Amino acid sequence: MTTMVVNNHLEREKMVSSIAMVMTLVSFSMLFATLMLGYVAYRFTAEVWPPLGMQRASLGLPTISTVIILMSSFSYFLSENSFLQGKLKAFRAYYFFTLMLGLAFMVSQLFLWKNLKLIGIYVDSTVFGSIIYAFTWIHAAHVVGGILALLFLIPSIRGTRDGGKSQIWLQNVGQFWHFLGIIWVIIYFGIFVF
Amino acid sequence: MKNKIFTEPVLKNTENLGFFEMLAPPEDISANGHLIDWLFNYTTSMNLFFFILVCIGLFGFSYLYHNKRHPKPYYTYGNKKAHIIIATVIGIAVFLCIDLMITGFSNNHYTGVFINWPDESKEDVVRVQVLGQQWAWNFRQAGEDGVFNTQDDIVTLNDLRVPANKKVVFQILSKDVIHSLYFPNARRKTDAIPGRITRMWIEFKKTGNYEIACAEMCGTYHYRMAAKLTVYEEEDYGHYLAEAGQIHRAVNDPEDGQIYWGWKWTSASSSKKIGMNK
Amino acid sequence: MAFYEQHIHPKPTTFLSKYIFSFDHKVIGKQFLWYGILFLFVGGLMALMIRWTLAYPGQPFPVIGSFLFPETGGAVPPDTYAMLFTMHGTIMIFYAITPILIGAFGNFCIPLMLGARDMAFPLLNMLSFHVAVISGLLLMGSLFTPLGAAAGGWTSYPTLSTLIGSPGVGQTLWSLAIFVLGVSSTMGAVNYITTIITLRAPGMGYFDMPLTIWGLGLTAVLNAIFLPVLGAGVLLLIFDRVFGTTFFLAGAAATTGTGDPVLFQHVFWIFGHPEVYILILPAWGIVSDLLSFFARKPAFGAKATALAMTSITILSTLVYGHHMFTTQMSPLLTQTFMTLTMTISIPSAIFFTNWLGTIWKGSIRFHSPMLFSLGVVFVFGLGGLTGLYLGTVTTDLYLHDTYFVVGHFHYTMAASVLLGGFAATYFWMPKMFGTLMNEFWAKIHFWITMLGLNGVFFGMMLVGYGGMHRRIYNPFIYEFTQKLIPINTFTTWSAIIMGFAQIIFVINFVHAVFFKKEKASDNPWEVGTLEWTIPSPAPHYNFKDIPVVKCGPHELGNPNVIGKDFQYQTEELA
Repeated sequence: MTTMVVNNHLEREKMVSSIAMVMTLVSFSMLFATLMLGYVAYRFTAEVWPPLGMQRASLGLPTISTVIILMSSFSYFLSENSFLQGKLKAFRAYYFFTLMLGLAFMVSQLFLWKNLKLIGIYVDSTVFGSIIYAFTWIHAAHVVGGILALLFLIPSIRGTRDGGKSQIWLQNVGQFWHFLGIIWVIIYFGIFVF
Repeated sequence: MKNKIFTEPVLKNTENLGFFEMLAPPEDISANGHLIDWLFNYTTSMNLFFFILVCIGLFGFSYLYHNKRHPKPYYTYGNKKAHIIIATVIGIAVFLCIDLMITGFSNNHYTGVFINWPDESKEDVVRVQVLGQQWAWNFRQAGEDGVFNTQDDIVTLNDLRVPANKKVVFQILSKDVIHSLYFPNARRKTDAIPGRITRMWIEFKKTGNYEIACAEMCGTYHYRMAAKLTVYEEEDYGHYLAEAGQIHRAVNDPEDGQIYWGWKWTSASSSKKIGMNK
Repeated sequence: MAFYEQHIHPKPTTFLSKYIFSFDHKVIGKQFLWYGILFLFVGGLMALMIRWTLAYPGQPFPVIGSFLFPETGGAVPPDTYAMLFTMHGTIMIFYAITPILIGAFGNFCIPLMLGARDMAFPLLNMLSFHVAVISGLLLMGSLFTPLGAAAGGWTSYPTLSTLIGSPGVGQTLWSLAIFVLGVSSTMGAVNYITTIITLRAPGMGYFDMPLTIWGLGLTAVLNAIFLPVLGAGVLLLIFDRVFGTTFFLAGAAATTGTGDPVLFQHVFWIFGHPEVYILILPAWGIVSDLLSFFARKPAFGAKATALAMTSITILSTLVYGHHMFTTQMSPLLTQTFMTLTMTISIPSAIFFTNWLGTIWKGSIRFHSPMLFSLGVVFVFGLGGLTGLYLGTVTTDLYLHDTYFVVGHFHYTMAASVLLGGFAATYFWMPKMFGTLMNEFWAKIHFWITMLGLNGVFFGMMLVGYGGMHRRIYNPFIYEFTQKLIPINTFTTWSAIIMGFAQIIFVINFVHAVFFKKEKASDNPWEVGTLEWTIPSPAPHYNFKDIPVVKCGPHELGNPNVIGKDFQYQTEELA
């Protein structure tokens, strides 16, 4: 039998949580995959896209959002790295930067929605508008979840959580945060660019 | 206590039916319904064969190997060569006898008959546009000019009249929710979907009065979304058309936009994207 | 993979920590069991009202009818009828079968059969139940909204389920309830998968797991992957209803829409077909185990059964299109889905050979769990074979949306799963509550249920073949359904018999749980899986010392073992 008994507390927590995280991300991916599948179906059965009377959303704001969320992912990566190297100061700085970028992303989304209304794309103006709004809403809701997940790292920031545990927390929250970044990039290219 | 929503139905005499007459599906009046019945019966006979095998195993073993009769079980994991061969053979036998056969037949019937759209440029077919709505069926035939959505169209509500021995091509659409145009006597149904046209063709063989139903849940009065189907001899159908055409020309109010719910007819053989058109 | 030893939690002392906010998987399992039984009762009552209406349309429902529907003098009105069958389907699938088989027995059996002290994430487990309760409240709450509950069928196809077809808030609550329940089940699924991967007792390889665990594990995988698909679908439906998006609106009804109602069907059935297997896989696993336990010989081809389950799990994700033949997909898709559907019969045939192989030359003890398991083999045989008509395009053109479909899926999902659930309840009763249920009444319960159940579901298939379509309120309307009225009446009376048979079960169950003095022994069925190595009922820490597994779960009837005819999994193979 190939079973080994792991009694190291941290090892086991790392293993368990990473398996669970993978499954969770698979679930979330299926949610977004379904949405994208729906989008592809609409897109390829439509004769003209965007539908008559609609204009494409300008790329400006979505691009800014993309840059922000990619920067936040990178900043998170740096934050985690500095933690692993024991540079606590840099860890904190990058963490707050990530958090700020997360909030900035939400603000950019608010502007995006406002801007869409200005150029006449509403929720109920054909499935084109519906897709843009619904997908960004769902993604934004997950980003709010992601920001809440970031807040769960506060004990690590304040140093009240032990190092090994913090490492696991950082890794799992990070996976979710990067996942949201990837989803946004797919939405950006799928819906706004093409 | 009877509420007025429960209209007392005119019951046909069902007392004298034998058990199997009672079970029989509605009378088949179409040219190709027998294909479906035949495949059903084929599947049934195969299913019966394998189900009886299962039952023999189930009840036979239950009897033979009751712990009173057979106190010492045979210790095996079922991984001997013979066991694996038997299991594989049974699996393959089921697949070959039932699945492959019915897939093959069904495939042939489906592509060869049911979606083998009559070539409307060569063949004389009857064209009907169907619009489902909560809770009624609207039927539209082109009338004399052969063009849909004009004043001489014969538009009827819950009343479809077609000739026998001639292919009838339906284009089906829904106004509100999804319905399903269901001809029990032809063994056919096709969904009526808002926003996309679906098609069906049937050749009726027997004249008479039959029923059309809605098979897809479409709201509270789904159960009452019934229509009448009248199949005429070719000759009578001609009389009907002439008569109805006159009446409809008189009745159809050209100012009333409501009556022009029809659409331009495109024959299925000319449109490649069957079912994908929006 | 690896196993780790969990701590022994302190014994909960207060009522709240013991029964309401318990982290203990066994308590959560029992919570799900009661939750499921409660909803089973509600759903069953709805079924009886539906059946009554079909046999005696316009006549008052006996006893409680005049109280429930005073404005029609006790008869079920047509709009309520639509709500009834919608809620019946929803409740039975999502709120009765799922909690009982996956929630209750999943939670209860997985750690015990794996030799673990609890699930990998006890807190998540507890939350999963409480989220399910919220979902149940949302659903039941929708019954009391002004325009009533959802009435678009459990499939809730748009545009009927959008504001066009159902303006009431009930449909929104329905969608929300399903979404929330999806969250709950996904949480459970992640937990189950992690537990099965990481918490198998030392020495237990995947093929040393009981087949029950295989079934539950594969179910969890399907849940984790496909519930989010349904989640996305109902989320868009909620958006359509609440925020005015136009995903599923089209045609004349939509003022601005260019959406597509058929897309929902695709999404629904991408989830919906695996859902059928989500429901049946645990029952298959349980039955495969129980047949071996009571035939006193190893499960025939256990590895093949496990692999067949796995391949069905994979195939189930590829065949969903057979639910949509009448929407006229492209011929190529139609043919592909038909052919893929047919391949499912290969693993199914392997099941049946293995099940029959298991009882072949056994020494069968006909205790109640065994009777129910044999019942599953019988009804699933009927259910599986009748599926062939529906997977075939041309016969489906006739049978789609008729009662034949209703009969078929009740045979597969309702009958087999119900019988499987009963088998599991009778079997694990001693480990759950420390007592055995009365055998005599259990057998009576089995035979009456079996008679009633076959009467109901076979009757449904017969009227379906006669052409009677689904979800109609009054079969007297059509001439071609009028001759089917005697069969409808027969079906209804079978349903009533089946319904009343459950009273026997409830009394037996409640008596065994609360009033029975006589305690069960630790291993009343004489089987060797890990849960039977510990006292009955299982103590809150399950295993004082984590067991080390040395042989498979079905070591029965080994002639080398002396003194008993089974081996515990902790014993070296003789």
